[in-house]
Amino acid sequence: METVTLTIDGQSVTVPKGKSVLEAIHASGGHVPYYCYHPGLQVDGSCRVCIVKIEKMPKLQTSCSTACADGMVVTTNSPEVEAARASVFEFLLVNHPLDCPVCDKGGECPLQDYAYSYGPERSRMEFPRRVFDGEGVKADVDFGPTLMLNRNRCIMCTRCERFMKEVDGDAQIGVFQRGVHSEIATFEEKGVVSLLSGNLMDVCPVGAITTRDYRFKSRPWDNPMAVDTICTGCEKGCNTTAWIKAKPEWAKGARLVRLTPRFNEDINQYWMCDIGRFDYHWVESDRRLLQPHVRSSRGSDATPWDEALVAVKAAVDAAGASHARVLVSGHASLEELYVLKQFAGLTGGVTFSWRHRPKPQPANTQFPIPAVDAPNLRGAKDLGFKLGATDSATDVSGLRAAVDTGAVKLLYVIDPGPDGSVGDTEWILAAKQSGKIATLIVQGVLKSALTEAADIVLPGCAFVEKDVTFTNATGHVQPASRVITPPGDAAEDWQILSKVAVAFGATVAQTTAAAVRQAIASECGSTPGYSALADLAFSRPVSARQYMQASNPMERGKWDTMFQDLPPIKFGDDFGPLPRADVIPLKPV
Amino acid sequence: MSFHPLMDYGKGMHQSQRALADEGPAFVFTAENLATLEDICSRYPAERRKSAVIAALYLAQRQQGYISRNAMKAVAAAIRISTAEVEDVVSFYTMFYQRPVGKNIIQVCRTLSCALNGAERLTDELQKVLGISTGETTADGAFSLFEVECLGACDRAPVVGVNDDWHECQRPEDAQKLVDGLRTKGAASLTGCHLHKEHS
Ligand code: SF4
Ligand code: SF4
Ligand code: FES
Ligand code: FES
Repeated sequence: METVTLTIDGQSVTVPKGKSVLEAIHASGGHVPYYCYHPGLQVDGSCRVCIVKIEKMPKLQTSCSTACADGMVVTTNSPEVEAARASVFEFLLVNHPLDCPVCDKGGECPLQDYAYSYGPERSRMEFPRRVFDGEGVKADVDFGPTLMLNRNRCIMCTRCERFMKEVDGDAQIGVFQRGVHSEIATFEEKGVVSLLSGNLMDVCPVGAITTRDYRFKSRPWDNPMAVDTICTGCEKGCNTTAWIKAKPEWAKGARLVRLTPRFNEDINQYWMCDIGRFDYHWVESDRRLLQPHVRSSRGSDATPWDEALVAVKAAVDAAGASHARVLVSGHASLEELYVLKQFAGLTGGVTFSWRHRPKPQPANTQFPIPAVDAPNLRGAKDLGFKLGATDSATDVSGLRAAVDTGAVKLLYVIDPGPDGSVGDTEWILAAKQSGKIATLIVQGVLKSALTEAADIVLPGCAFVEKDVTFTNATGHVQPASRVITPPGDAAEDWQILSKVAVAFGATVAQTTAAAVRQAIASECGSTPGYSALADLAFSRPVSARQYMQASNPMERGKWDTMFQDLPPIKFGDDFGPLPRADVIPLKPV
Repeated sequence: MSFHPLMDYGKGMHQSQRALADEGPAFVFTAENLATLEDICSRYPAERRKSAVIAALYLAQRQQGYISRNAMKAVAAAIRISTAEVEDVVSFYTMFYQRPVGKNIIQVCRTLSCALNGAERLTDELQKVLGISTGETTADGAFSLFEVECLGACDRAPVVGVNDDWHECQRPEDAQKLVDGLRTKGAASLTGCHLHKEHS
């Protein structure tokens, strides 16, 4: 690799050729503020706060748009640079409403933080501020189905515009008018309609773009815990961070308050889609299954687990194990599938079913969302399951034919996913109605027509309630961590399955999820990614303060790269020297 | 869009107040203009087709007198960029008009050199003479008055742009003469730009 060596604040730094001075400064442990620079977008050089002194250059330079060259001598903190930077901040704040107390970004806003660290203490501006659309939160206007826009707060970094152009592929946002009148807007004020719109909230460094979902719901200091996990919305497997609101056990309302993307170069880079970001409310909804239910002559009654499992055994015995079929959605994790595999041979057969939903996106998008709404089909294949005739499309024809001939006395449906994740269920309901399926057992998380019709209902856990692993379409084996506790008597799905295995006359040797993963690792160890399962560590809730202190100099750009919505990272002597080694453990310790 | 959960937030209370360009009548490029546009586009590499956006906007403006939202849509379709990108350009440049304008468009420069030489007073005089404020059009549709930024002839400030021509060294007291001249002799009454003359 070609490298260049330059001097930054008296320290010699070697970086790969082609890096910008800003990246070199951050890589060497220094810091300059920045707004328009975003590692996932092209360089713009419009905000000017990243200016540094480079010797032999006549004027101060924007470090984000200057490539490193051999022998450069860069100064980031001379009085000249500091004074110039402070005046850039003064200009940025000339028209800024400074309504941080009512702004959704308050507490995690780079404009707040940097103005605090680098800006002048007071403004000398005497003229009234320029306002769009009125004052205060009244200026928040509709910006499409998911977003609100407050132009008064905008600092014209054009990140949102570049995101739409470069990543989404449909340049719906423009910078209209010019000079001080410039404003971010869409043609005919139609707003942003895109399945990637949520990312605009992340890229916006101020509170100009906020999501309707998270607006006024919580403040950074209200959700002091964050957990690194993954999205299970589709087969892409985006890396995410789940934010938990602090509240006493007895308080009403959701604990999971938002999901934000987490950097993973191979999978989702800095982004995630709106489905993964906003479609999580079902997890803590009223529609969750809280207790096992068994149908008797009196109707469907809530029962304790042991009685429900006895009922399962009785049902299996009555039907005969070989007349029992299993229907699994693509939301079952590796652990669950491995346990299922141990008694699959004793059943009449296992069939996979999932939803195929092509996503409307511009043809040239850089972030295509897969059509397969199942996070673990690749994992099922790797474990040796046969998905259907072609492995590429849902194929329940064999099962349906068997049901039609009356060969299926018991159908066991396993679906720990949201609505619709097991694909079409109408035919199951019809078959149950007509008596072709005598007994229907459903293991799931949400009440649905299927659970209404079921004879036995076993409540499982959603993806944020259990430590499980999934293999995405590109073969990355990834952990989804337990973020919140499951509601009611809901139990981890692999445990339910190992109890059900007993009804089929099998015994599952593994008694912990870790042991299941060990077993998978030794069985599939030759497939890339699986050997790591043996000693996989799951993320645990990390306090925001720890995040802050974990900001070792190498990671100070973190609010952009991994946790865009980090609480403030203060650069100053107040915290003493920043601990270098104290980073968040992403791997086992 | 197939997915997006209902996220209503105080619907109706939060509408943008941004002034939109006139929607205008349905707009279709004439066959002749379309041919010209294709010719201009062919001068750029295929993947840089959008470089022709200014030329396309001029064609649209010449055809209709101003650039309506419908015209922007037609330009976007012809250049194969998004409508937002077109409005981005239209709203940036003062030579594109987003609503109908008069026959003569008077643009007074208000940037530094002209401002120091009394451009503001000239604008005041023109407003008085024409009986309109900046940004407006006279009732007979003969004149529109705008303030613009530097016209690039600063050494003969204050400078006024009339349609596609310059008129230099304008003092406030010349306002009446300028308007009368335009009414009687049209563009012939203008001095033109000395820069153009000296270099041609
Ligand atoms: S809305 Fe936000 S992202 Fe877009 S230009 Fe303004 S400050 Fe930047
Ligand atoms: S692309 Fe798929 S994995 Fe990524 S956020 Fe969307 S639904 Fe989740
Ligand atoms: S970050 Fe360098 S100019 Fe904006
Ligand atoms: S300042 Fe008026 S023409 Fe340049």
